[in-house]
Amino acid sequence: MRNKTRLSDILLNGFVYLATSLSVLALGLIFFYVFTEGKDLLSLDLIRGNYHSRNYVATLPQSSNDSFNLQPTEQTFAIERFGLILEQSENLAGDSVIRVVYVADDSPFSQLVLQETGNEVVSLKEGMIMMRIAYENHPTSLTSRGAAAMAADLNDPDRVVREVMFAQVGGGIRGSIITTVYLIGLTLMMALPLGVLSAIFFNEFAPRNMITKTMRTFTETLTGVPSIIFGLLGITVFVPLTIRITPASGSNLIAGAMTLAVILLPTIIRTTEEALKVVPADHRFASLALGANKTQTVFKVVLPQAIPGILTATFLGIGRIIGESAALIFVLGAAIKDSVNIYQPSTSLAVHIWAMMTDEPANVALSSTIAIIILMIVLVMNLSIKGVVSLMIKKGRA
Amino acid sequence: MGSKSLSRVDRITYFLLTIVGLISASFIVFISIFIALKGVLPFLTDNLGLGSVSLFKFLTQTVWLNGPTFVSTAYGAGFLIVNTLYIAFLSLLISFPIGVLTALFIAKIAPKKIAGILRTIIELLSAIPSIVYGLVGVGFFLPIIYSLARSLGYSSSGGSGTLATVFVLALMSIPTITSISEVSIRSVDQSIEHASLALGATFTQTRFKITLLAAKSGIFSGAILAIGRSLGEATAVSLVAGNARSGPTFGLFDITSTITSTMLTGLKETQGIDYDIRFSLGIVLMVVILLTNMILNYIKKKVGNVHA
Repeated sequence: MRNKTRLSDILLNGFVYLATSLSVLALGLIFFYVFTEGKDLLSLDLIRGNYHSRNYVATLPQSSNDSFNLQPTEQTFAIERFGLILEQSENLAGDSVIRVVYVADDSPFSQLVLQETGNEVVSLKEGMIMMRIAYENHPTSLTSRGAAAMAADLNDPDRVVREVMFAQVGGGIRGSIITTVYLIGLTLMMALPLGVLSAIFFNEFAPRNMITKTMRTFTETLTGVPSIIFGLLGITVFVPLTIRITPASGSNLIAGAMTLAVILLPTIIRTTEEALKVVPADHRFASLALGANKTQTVFKVVLPQAIPGILTATFLGIGRIIGESAALIFVLGAAIKDSVNIYQPSTSLAVHIWAMMTDEPANVALSSTIAIIILMIVLVMNLSIKGVVSLMIKKGRA
Repeated sequence: MGSKSLSRVDRITYFLLTIVGLISASFIVFISIFIALKGVLPFLTDNLGLGSVSLFKFLTQTVWLNGPTFVSTAYGAGFLIVNTLYIAFLSLLISFPIGVLTALFIAKIAPKKIAGILRTIIELLSAIPSIVYGLVGVGFFLPIIYSLARSLGYSSSGGSGTLATVFVLALMSIPTITSISEVSIRSVDQSIEHASLALGATFTQTRFKITLLAAKSGIFSGAILAIGRSLGEATAVSLVAGNARSGPTFGLFDITSTITSTMLTGLKETQGIDYDIRFSLGIVLMVVILLTNMILNYIKKKVGNVHA
């Protein structure tokens, strides 16, 4: 009997430990996977760069015979004649390419003229890919012949450059970052006033009756609505609304922010109300007794004490905005854009992942890199909430 | 706080705040009305000559539109409902024991410091956006499931299908179940645990037979919330489900589709029946979630009262 009990105890305890380690493993797995897959692409270029690659064909108006003073390393090739440094490199697909490592400020290559239009000035920038350079009466320098040969050709004083073809590499996420920042700003601009004022109404002003109770139930019901349903709300209400009152003509960023504002509303109301509830009633009575009216009391005495709660709601909201995908796919679209306009469709970071993962073939590496950025922001938001809470506790003790 | 005791400024404030409160409360009404209006269109109109959809066929058969010019199986809701519920409950089968036992460990067994760390881990897990779960599902689970299926002699479409969806949803549900169960396990009256220990039961027996039973109402609430999330999850599911166009699917390695994943496919249409039918699916989704919640809450009441 004793032994049997002990055996079943060990077994049950084993299950508990197993379950706990599985939960911990889950978090470890997610972070480990995302970091190993995505860390290689994480760089400033990724954050600053365009997603769509772009090819340029340009002419070189000023020919220069200045001798630039350059310091190439062993793997790079200097072109003293034009102030360029090139390097043999590989793109994400593994093809060999010639990458521009350095362009001198007064290099003729920073003043190229686009051949298409004939008057638009473009400049060769660091990180771009040199594809080919054609000369008058000489054979063209090609990628396939390598960076060393191209550098040697360019340094040859007999050659006159006729045409330069170069490319801006894609795969950057600047557009999606800008969209996400816009979304956070616009959404909070709408959701915070609406949510905080609603919380003040429910906690300070609303009469205790059936109507208030029903209104409260209605706002709380929003919590249980799946985000894809909010997407449907967005395309039936907010997209037509924005088309009517703004220059937008289809899915757009403002409608996306409106949809997100509705998603955040119940959280902001609940968090703010909880903060309002812990403000001691004595403070209200004291203010009223001093002759302030209720409006002054609420906005000047009660609300300032609820700021940590509002801050928590803001951080929670930012986390939610960054992670939201289903609703935005409907309202904001899934087309990745480099130039963001609030009246046009674009993608947030989360939708950027979705768009790439539903593409054929799926871009897991870049998706994981974006996931690292999302996880980092979510982590910072969570830590900030903890910081605010511990500050509140400290203040409460003092 | 009657409005009689208010000054003029206060009455204006009260009036304005009432409007704000009404706006906040109105969104759920907007959602219900607009989705309902759009969602019934395919059943009432003849969809620009394609023929109207029969509600009965929409809910029960795979061929839901049988008009004069066009026969379609794309959006039959019957098999989608079955798939959605099947996947949600299978995922609960994995996440429920893991989630509850983790909660038991955090609340009752772990030393204070470790419990704090674990709580942070669970919080972080629940803060991770679903798209990241979907990404890990595609990158990590699909290859494993693919090779597992091959070694067992099944064919699978790159690993996507029921099993992958179940795993992703289970992973997403664990933090929900754990955090809610943990609160209810911690709030169990310690005197009944002490009574059990005094009667000679071991710690483990007490935890499993007394504490968990006493906390079962809260644990059940966690499970209900997790099911609700699983039923409504869209993007992560759409990445790993495989988006089958017919069903129902019960095989673990076969591709499947849920109500939400079907709503996300074919986004290019902006009008017509393929667009409107998504709202009908939205209604179906809301009804499925509401009914599941009601049934589970009813069961919770029935079984929860014994020890309360």
